[in-house]
Amino acid sequence: MSLQSARHPDPVDPIFRGLAFAAATTLLLTLGGLIVALMIGGWPAISKFGFGFLTSSTWNPVTEVYGAAGPIVGTLITAVLSLAIALPIAVCVSVFLTQYCPKAIAQPVSTAIELLAGIPSIVYGMWGLFVFAPWFARTVQLPILTSLDPESFWGKLLAGVPNGANIFTASIVLAIMILPYMSAVFRELFRSIPPQVREAAFGLGCTSYEVVGSVLIPYVKKGMIGVVMLGFGRALGETMAVTFIIGNSHRFPDSLFASGSTLASTIANEFNEASGVHLASLIALGLVLFLITFTVLAIARALLSSQRY
Amino acid sequence: MSDTDFQSVITPPPADQLVLETRNLNFYYGTHQSLFGVSMPVKRNGITALIGPSGCGKSTLLRTMNRIYDLYPGQRAEGEILVDGENILGPKVDLTSLRARVGMVFQKPTPFPMSIYDNVAFGVKLYHKKSKSQMDEVVEKALRRAALWDEVKDKLTKSGLSLSGGQQQRLCVARGIAVEPEILLLDEPASALDPISTAKLEDTLEELKRDLTIIIVTHNLQQAARLSDYTGFMYLGKMVEYGPTEELFVKPKVERTSDYIGGRFG
Repeated sequence: MSLQSARHPDPVDPIFRGLAFAAATTLLLTLGGLIVALMIGGWPAISKFGFGFLTSSTWNPVTEVYGAAGPIVGTLITAVLSLAIALPIAVCVSVFLTQYCPKAIAQPVSTAIELLAGIPSIVYGMWGLFVFAPWFARTVQLPILTSLDPESFWGKLLAGVPNGANIFTASIVLAIMILPYMSAVFRELFRSIPPQVREAAFGLGCTSYEVVGSVLIPYVKKGMIGVVMLGFGRALGETMAVTFIIGNSHRFPDSLFASGSTLASTIANEFNEASGVHLASLIALGLVLFLITFTVLAIARALLSSQRY
Repeated sequence: MSDTDFQSVITPPPADQLVLETRNLNFYYGTHQSLFGVSMPVKRNGITALIGPSGCGKSTLLRTMNRIYDLYPGQRAEGEILVDGENILGPKVDLTSLRARVGMVFQKPTPFPMSIYDNVAFGVKLYHKKSKSQMDEVVEKALRRAALWDEVKDKLTKSGLSLSGGQQQRLCVARGIAVEPEILLLDEPASALDPISTAKLEDTLEELKRDLTIIIVTHNLQQAARLSDYTGFMYLGKMVEYGPTEELFVKPKVERTSDYIGGRFG
């Protein structure tokens, strides 16, 4: 008997193929089921309020009128703000760790950053509520409030009750939460650059700044877009920490220091006591959050495939 | 092993034609010494080749000449490297301007993630402010000298990474010579290239050597014999024999050199 006929037919191969197929199918079915369940659960609210559900900022359980504009805007603002804070810091941290820092220091610092990423979000929320928010109210918000003309542009932008529970502090806590994650992935990106590319840039007479800014960052640009979008996705959906610190008010946020809410924080806060249209509205919020996250990921895909270099 | 194993025979070019000279150069990776008292006088213009078995220190020697090893803490050189009479190992040397005078091309092509045009203009922009039309001239001249112009002139805005391996390597040569260095260091530049690309690269170097000093590390003996005016044979971190290529290949003075060239070890 030849070796080949001894191996054919291989009984394990079809089983393995079937398992892989089943795993992939299950995932897709779960995703589809999730969307369908959100749609069915949210339907009473969607059919009652129609498109106005997205544009109205009235959220009133007493009169049973619900509009998601406040939480939608709150979600987007906190996610964008936290990204704007975290991105430059994450780039700097990872550049420092991979380009400037002696190896003996880089390793412990990297480990510390990874530890930060492992802290449960509720711990960040408690720290934010009990430590950071009061400190922020005292040392930042109050002086600003007392020194700015409330009618000026800055006065309006930074108006709010000085209790530290607002959109801005929530964004900072969010930034601290996505920072370790982003720095860790950026660090891997920079490490993946072949050393010759760096040497070639230095070999032309570049300074460190020019090497990093003109060669290394463009070299990993594509990967960075991916990381930014994933960080953004995380910031969009982060629930517990934000619920603790954002102030949980459903009105349309009119200043950086105003309390607000996000889609996820609203759901977390009210799910327990909701029924009827209220419950349907919360489920519809979930659907909206799902769609926003989906859109972000789709944009990330499109950006990635349109990159030239 | 007898003492004659480590004799070093140097036949220097005429003293008034030197552009670079290493004198009694030692090099250390941390505590590990990898160059031992290397002396190598390099003739201005023309091509000088460094040959020797893997790990003999030829790449290390090359990497001292623009002090690129400085990027790595723990690596250090002792001795002297004179470029136009100035010791570049001295503490006050401006590395940026040194690297403008001594360019480098690596084993694997290293185009930057930008257009072909920007790759060539990149180094020039670091040193000179030029108008668009001046820069166009500089870029075209560098690409012509690197024998790449005809192949890329219609796609200068395309990514440098879209070129073939051989074209990428000539792009790196163009980028290196665009800043008009005196010396161009090449570290096994053809080892990742197919024979046709290698031949084109060699043609390019033949063109360039008229007004540029080229020092090339190669493990391809035919390439060294074909291209170079002077050759250095290194072994175990030492310069065993250095002299005019013809003499070294036809009538080597050290037995180890003839053994290596004859293929008896390596």
